[in-house]
Amino acid sequence: MNLRQWFLLPARLWMALFFAAPLAIVCAYSFLTRGDYGGVERPWTVESFTRVVDPLYLAILWRSVWIALVATALCAILGFPLAFFISQAGRRKNLYLQLVLLPFWTSFLIRTYAWIFILRDTGLLNTVLVRLHLIASPVQLLYNDGAVLLGLVYNFLPFFVLPMYATLERLDPALLEAAADLGASPLATLCRVVIPISAPGLMAGCVLVFIPCLGAYLTPDLLGGGKTVMLGNLVQNQFTTARDWPFGSAASLVLMLCSAILLGFLMRSRIAKELM
Amino acid sequence: MNRRAFLAAAAASACSRDRRPRLNVYNWSTYIDPAMLDRFERESGIRLRYATYESNEEMLAKVMTGNSGWDVVFPTHSRLAPMARNGLLAPLDHRLLPSLKNLDARFQRPVWDPQLRWGTPYMWNATGIIYNRVHTPAMTGWAGLWNSALRGRLTMLDDAEDVIGACLQKLGYPFGSTDDSQLEAAKSAALRQKQLLRAYLNADVRDQLVSGDVLAAQTWSTTAAQAIAANSNLTFVYPQEGFPFYCDCAVVLRESSRYERAHTFLDFLLRPEVAASNARAAETATANGSAQALVPRDSVLYPPDNIYRRGVWPEALPSAAQRYRDRLWTEIKSA
Amino acid sequence: MKLRGLGVYAAVVLAFLHLPLLILIAFSFNASRFTIWEGFSLRWYQAAMQDTQLSDGLVNSVIIAVVASVISTIVGTLAAYGIWRRSAPMLSGSLYLSLVTPEIVTGVSLLALFQWAFHFLHLRLGLATVIIAHVAFSIAYVAIVISARLRNFDRSLEEAAMDLGASEWRAFTRVTLPSLVPAIAAAGLLALVVSFDDYVITSLVTGVDSQTLPMVIYAMARRGVSPVINAVSALILVAFGAIILLSQRLERA
Repeated sequence: MNLRQWFLLPARLWMALFFAAPLAIVCAYSFLTRGDYGGVERPWTVESFTRVVDPLYLAILWRSVWIALVATALCAILGFPLAFFISQAGRRKNLYLQLVLLPFWTSFLIRTYAWIFILRDTGLLNTVLVRLHLIASPVQLLYNDGAVLLGLVYNFLPFFVLPMYATLERLDPALLEAAADLGASPLATLCRVVIPISAPGLMAGCVLVFIPCLGAYLTPDLLGGGKTVMLGNLVQNQFTTARDWPFGSAASLVLMLCSAILLGFLMRSRIAKELM
Repeated sequence: MNRRAFLAAAAASACSRDRRPRLNVYNWSTYIDPAMLDRFERESGIRLRYATYESNEEMLAKVMTGNSGWDVVFPTHSRLAPMARNGLLAPLDHRLLPSLKNLDARFQRPVWDPQLRWGTPYMWNATGIIYNRVHTPAMTGWAGLWNSALRGRLTMLDDAEDVIGACLQKLGYPFGSTDDSQLEAAKSAALRQKQLLRAYLNADVRDQLVSGDVLAAQTWSTTAAQAIAANSNLTFVYPQEGFPFYCDCAVVLRESSRYERAHTFLDFLLRPEVAASNARAAETATANGSAQALVPRDSVLYPPDNIYRRGVWPEALPSAAQRYRDRLWTEIKSA
Repeated sequence: MKLRGLGVYAAVVLAFLHLPLLILIAFSFNASRFTIWEGFSLRWYQAAMQDTQLSDGLVNSVIIAVVASVISTIVGTLAAYGIWRRSAPMLSGSLYLSLVTPEIVTGVSLLALFQWAFHFLHLRLGLATVIIAHVAFSIAYVAIVISARLRNFDRSLEEAAMDLGASEWRAFTRVTLPSLVPAIAAAGLLALVVSFDDYVITSLVTGVDSQTLPMVIYAMARRGVSPVINAVSALILVAFGAIILLSQRLERA
């Protein structure tokens, strides 16, 4: 066994035991019938899958994909300049990275509750806006899609910034100087030099944001006021309150399939090839 | 200190692990007075491992494996029968529970477990309506939560059983109805109401009621009592159309190998002063009659008899009916 | 030229990231338990210090996060390197798939696995199962970060080293690994944060003795936010802030 195979062994073992095997169990569950109190029972059936292909659930899928896409785009737009700045910051690089990560040592739940406090009708933002006479009376900033997006972007920004930084850090400042010397405008340098080199980090960052956003359920629940069901809420609900593990498993498999297809498509697309 | 001495000390401390007998208790969060846990440990010499959960389903997911490691858990009353049917519970030995007599008369032969075979009633509460007296017209029943004047300032619980049940009761149907046409009607009512709703919130609504963001809400009596204590403009009403009660009971799991110790703990919880302390800490109503005398008689938590009679104790529904309700709930939430 | 404007932008974004925290900290000193300011008080800090569930949870969280992130960083880095040398489609596929799996599904499937395995093995859910679960979902994160970095790494450097007589192992440790260090640090940090903050998966596979901090906090928050949580967050922030400052000082020295 050569070095490479030794290197791959731990990951292979771990994934086989603790990812593939459990996944096989989930697949098995999706073909079984719901037990009375959660769990699964013998009659093998495809009923769960036929239930999934229903306009109600497909609408939920579509909505989740859309919100996740927007959140990813926002993270990319906001996170890219930040990651670039940090990568060029010389000695202070680590400090800035830590500052980006610092909020995330507190519980995700607490951060979300802090936003609820800020966005409430009697919360910080509304109070300030009213005091400054910018609005006449409080605007409902909470319990809508905007609040959910804010929450998602806020919580997943470091997932974009870190891999972006890891790639941008490799960017040789001399390349930028050379481009400038050759007469390129900052915008041209950005498009022709920086982005192509950082494309892998961009891909990685987008993947790391899009996927959790697709399956998110706490954020839409808390900031959306439980008024909308996203895929994550649906799956979570099936495994807990509804106690319908087969249906939850089927829905998860559909979710994973869609994400995997989207991912594969993205990785192989012409755009990706051009950038990479 | 040299390395050898350090390693020896570390080894010694690892070996001198607590050898007292243990008991593992899994309860709802903020449902007990920590001082009572300490007191139990001191008096009985048993070391407690105490952890908390947020929902019956979370607890059930662990317990159903039959290998969760817990000895005592606190399911809501409607889960007792199914859990017993699935062989998860150990029948109680009343000889080991002399303090059972302290239970309130209503809980001595409860509707879900008349022989008290499976669980000892612990705390109970109800679902009702809380509203702000100053900014809202007076309400007497569920119908008040469909008032379009409250648009955007209204919330309901994020719980399928409670919301669908409230809709059913508003329409005059039974809380636990399994009739499809009645459920469809309830769903339409819920969808109409959703236009007016600010959000579906559980205990989170408390702060918003206190600050005035929310003017009326469907909420549990525990949450209501806490909110009223902070803002006296708020008032709680038990809907005249009817409302559900919930009682959390202490049970001993069949997988547990600490049967007697578990009973010692259950009996401890049934002592009046212990139950009273727990009720005060949890800010909810206790099922212990002797303890009720020791706590302030809050009319929100302890409704008078004439109101009490209007309440129902929900049961676990048959599988098909549950599935139908789940689908309805998904439809309501994703509209 | 570019950097001045960017500096302002970075400051704004960092402020956005930290604003909720400042509010959190401010209200940890609130005498009232509701979000209406009622005066200055330290009672929540006292409560936080005395709460044994909190301190147990914190200890468990730290142990799990450190162990899990160390394991997943090592395993993930080795895997990413192996895949970069020559593609390993099954492993890459399973790594990507593990990213795409919703947390609840990962949690439930692992619970099912442990449930089944423990019939034969007479083991229980506990710290070990949580660590296993955390590593399982972190490996992919680490691998992605390292892969992204490796894609820009010049393969010929390693080949040159081997032409000059170095073994594969030496080529890796002397040529590739040093340039991977920042990426490894970033990946390790990501794994640490992801593990520390995880609620869903942890709550499903945790046992009697392994309640983590997010679980304790979630429990508190669901019953109506208590400022004890604010106090805990403030303390955590101060602790980590101090560690960062310290590491900065050490780096400079």
